[in-house]
Amino acid sequence: MSEALRDKAAIVGIGASRFGRHLPESQLALATQAFKAALADAGLERSDIDGLSIHIGWPLGVDYDQVAQAFGLEIDFVNQAWAHGRFVTGSLQTAAMAVATGMANVVACVNVLSFTRERDILGGPHDFEGYRETGGTHAETPHYGLTAPAGGAALAMQRYMALYGATSAELAAVPVALRAHARLNPKAVMRKPMSVADHQASRMVVDPLRLFDCCIVSDGAAVVLVAAAERARDLRQRPVFIAGMQGMAAGRNEFIFAPPGLGINQQSGERPDRTAERDLAVYRSADIPREAIQGLYTYDAFSPLVLFVLERFGFCAPGEAAAFVQEGRIGPGGTLPVNTSGGLLSEAHVAGWNSLCEMVRQLRGEAGPGQIADARALQWATTWGDSVILRN
Amino acid sequence: MSAYEKPTPRINPDNARFWESAHEGVLRLPRCGDCAAWHWPPGPVCPACFSERIGWEEAQGHGTVSTWTVVHQDWFPAFRADIPYAVAQIELAEGVRLTANIVDCPADELRVGLPVEVVFDRVTETLTLPRFRPHRD
Repeated sequence: MSEALRDKAAIVGIGASRFGRHLPESQLALATQAFKAALADAGLERSDIDGLSIHIGWPLGVDYDQVAQAFGLEIDFVNQAWAHGRFVTGSLQTAAMAVATGMANVVACVNVLSFTRERDILGGPHDFEGYRETGGTHAETPHYGLTAPAGGAALAMQRYMALYGATSAELAAVPVALRAHARLNPKAVMRKPMSVADHQASRMVVDPLRLFDCCIVSDGAAVVLVAAAERARDLRQRPVFIAGMQGMAAGRNEFIFAPPGLGINQQSGERPDRTAERDLAVYRSADIPREAIQGLYTYDAFSPLVLFVLERFGFCAPGEAAAFVQEGRIGPGGTLPVNTSGGLLSEAHVAGWNSLCEMVRQLRGEAGPGQIADARALQWATTWGDSVILRN
Repeated sequence: MSAYEKPTPRINPDNARFWESAHEGVLRLPRCGDCAAWHWPPGPVCPACFSERIGWEEAQGHGTVSTWTVVHQDWFPAFRADIPYAVAQIELAEGVRLTANIVDCPADELRVGLPVEVVFDRVTETLTLPRFRPHRD
């Protein structure tokens, strides 16, 4: 990723629906709440929106044509991704590229997940993607009873534990830290205190993942409005600039829920001893070094993904993340707070867009009790190697 | 035989030989006719050298567990009676990793590095699933 897009696009508005479980609203009704909130936040009218970037479509979410028709929009630019959490970053990046290149003026990233309404899609007999002939994208093999994304995360964590001696009790530090963040966020779905002992007492789902290693199955929507930087400076909110970006990695050495080289599926099994050049691109792109990152935001569908992203981007060395996350380092007031609104593990599963909204609040100085002091540069990054650095 | 209610693999032109072979009791894997690399999953070209000369050769049927899990969650009604059951990735002697069940193995003996061998489980008149069990000799 070159410098060509550095600070050329900005997030100008954010909005969310209420979050919860078994909400009565339809997917479109949740999208409406979030969309109206984002327009009000930005001081824009719906007629200002000429682009849509949809991450997760029907049936868990809404498709671009449903949104355009239901909201009475006139849209000239559309991106819609495959309905997987992994496409969160790409959906935002495509919006940024669209406004930076003039293909659209304001792109609404509209994201809805009604997991409790569509519960039987997740991993059960109706999860058709698991049947792909070359294996599901998280190593699903339904004929052997391995299904659901959690299965892939479990395979990766089990091997990680065997290679490095990490334990479930160490892994517990991740959901415990995110719960501590969520307790500062009135909007979070899960706010009960969680201790390591609570984690260890939670039921085993898919060994070694316990219930508290798995994200919430929830309902909610979030909308992020993206405009070109010069337009952003004229709008109501302090712009949050998209300073740098790098794309998703794919290849035989990649597995969606493992760092490169861990040895899952056909990965080499040889962990690199230093951060790959391609995973340093985001810092060069933003001209912001890793050491200046004040908070890390990631797709935490399962707690091991937090360990893996820390190692992938070099916040610690391979095998060291389980130790790195101890003693509150990623919790409130820690040296590298992670997912400060509680993430998918404790706030809500809005496919990461809840965390992207939180990054914007942080960079505006509006994050309330969880505010990172003098927040200037925050990083969104995933285990599968894509990233965006936001700055104010 | 009562109806088989568990999911069955989708078979297409790229992977049909694997399932036909398994039903004959042979573990056969794709191997490049040019560079001799074994690969998995099956596909129309060799991922190493991009050749389309893909052959199928009998594998030794031995390997080690490279990772594993035990499923406790009731995702599929048809697997309910099997819970908890083990699924692993097996690094075969040929160097590729397959995903399959581990059978005849107490949960507390599952580990990365466990030597295993293939067994063939004829589950319907037309489908045989290769699974793996600890290799003891």
